[in-house]
Amino acid sequence: MQGLAGALVIALVAASIAAMVRFAPSGFTASLTEPQKTPFLGGGAPDTHAWQRYHVRYYPMTLLFIAFEMEMMFMYPWAVVFVEEGGKAMMEMGMFLAILSVGIVYGWREGIFRWQ
Amino acid sequence: MAIALLRRLAGAAPVPVFAAIGTGMRAAADDLFLDRRLTRANSIRHARILLVAGPVREADQDDIHRLHDQMLHPRATLWWKANAGPDFAEPTTWDEDDPVAALEAIHRALIDGTRDSEPDTLPNEPPNPWRGKGDYGQGGEGMMGGTPYGRPMAMTDDDLRDGLALDAYTAPFGPFLPMLPPGLKLSVTLQGDVIQTAELLRPPFPQAKSADGTVHALRALARFLPILGLDAHAVRCLDAARFLSAGTPIELTKIRQLLRWSGALAAIPPGIGVIEGADVRIRVERWLAALDESQPGTFEDSATTSPLKSARLVDLLRGREWSEAILIANSFDTETMIALAPVEAEDAEADDRDIEDENRMDHEGHGAGHPPEAHAHGAPGA
Repeated sequence: MQGLAGALVIALVAASIAAMVRFAPSGFTASLTEPQKTPFLGGGAPDTHAWQRYHVRYYPMTLLFIAFEMEMMFMYPWAVVFVEEGGKAMMEMGMFLAILSVGIVYGWREGIFRWQ
Repeated sequence: MAIALLRRLAGAAPVPVFAAIGTGMRAAADDLFLDRRLTRANSIRHARILLVAGPVREADQDDIHRLHDQMLHPRATLWWKANAGPDFAEPTTWDEDDPVAALEAIHRALIDGTRDSEPDTLPNEPPNPWRGKGDYGQGGEGMMGGTPYGRPMAMTDDDLRDGLALDAYTAPFGPFLPMLPPGLKLSVTLQGDVIQTAELLRPPFPQAKSADGTVHALRALARFLPILGLDAHAVRCLDAARFLSAGTPIELTKIRQLLRWSGALAAIPPGIGVIEGADVRIRVERWLAALDESQPGTFEDSATTSPLKSARLVDLLRGREWSEAILIANSFDTETMIALAPVEAEDAEADDRDIEDENRMDHEGHGAGHPPEAHAHGAPGA
């Protein structure tokens, strides 16, 4: 009961601080002028907004990592029950690996295995 | 009481200064920050005082204004042997050799409240109103259309490496960006951190070159090493350069050994910024060789003696990652840099305006560059 009261007090305090910051008069929070909002480029002014899409280059590597990691995560418990279950477990693992290998084949097509 | 104490302590702290370096003042400005009473701010936002060291071009006054207005309050500007712009009311100037005392006094006065923070010189309005095609400012071209926060969204461009069409970011960098030589202004189109195209807007300022090859090499190393994160070694080099130019003999063997052991050479990617068979690593090795007193006369910067007509900085930067590009830009001395960045002084402004206009119309890189004859001219004056 005491723990619950403590948690409630903490939540209340946090909520009131958040409300204070949210509804504070503008003089309380630091306000920036328009020139101060521009990024620092050593004097230049940017032509475009900095919000943009760029290629996350580690993406295919991540795909490969997850494919093999998932394989390992499933294989350990599978190895424990394999002797009891026999053929059924073998089938299941085959299906699982088939799905994962689609990802690996896709990565292969995208050139993951080419060393750069 | 407590506030007064805090004020006094804040006033006594090292002064964060951003240096906008003009013609012929680079070495003096570098030496200035060996003083413990100052700290060098690498961004104007971390600075309390903008130090304009040396005369700047007329075209750079706009950039000074923008830098000035980006500083947070309370702020001040000190014009050290520089020409203050007409928009600065009652500029504080300093024409002596050592401005540290003046900087300290300004800082203390700012913190005390005896000196007012400088007001904005630019209007407090966004460069463009937030306006799209729809009723609520939505729509238009680009990723989500409109001009959020006064700037249009980046448009797509094919990636140099794989042709993937993603947003290319074009922005002018310089002329007072700490990691570029002072005065150099480039319009760079980036895909992520790879430089798709670079366009020269303004060349670097001419700087006095030390007659002593060793001092020259030490100063060059002191500028190069902080990029690799070796700030302490840079201070060591700068200190040695100062002692040597004052005529005090100094043991250079230890510095050379320290630099070799620091792994600085191994940290430089091989094969970048190749000019006449010498890449960045070889140029740094030449500086290190210049510190070797046992072999006098081995130091010869072949790049400075040759005319370098064919090479252009913008070509060296194309396709390079940002970190490599900064290493390349700092591996040349100022004379070579000016030779690599040829723009006629009159043309520079016209180019500047053209490029900005073109960028406004279509947000694409301009890789084609200037016609070849535009680069046949010699180095421009300031």
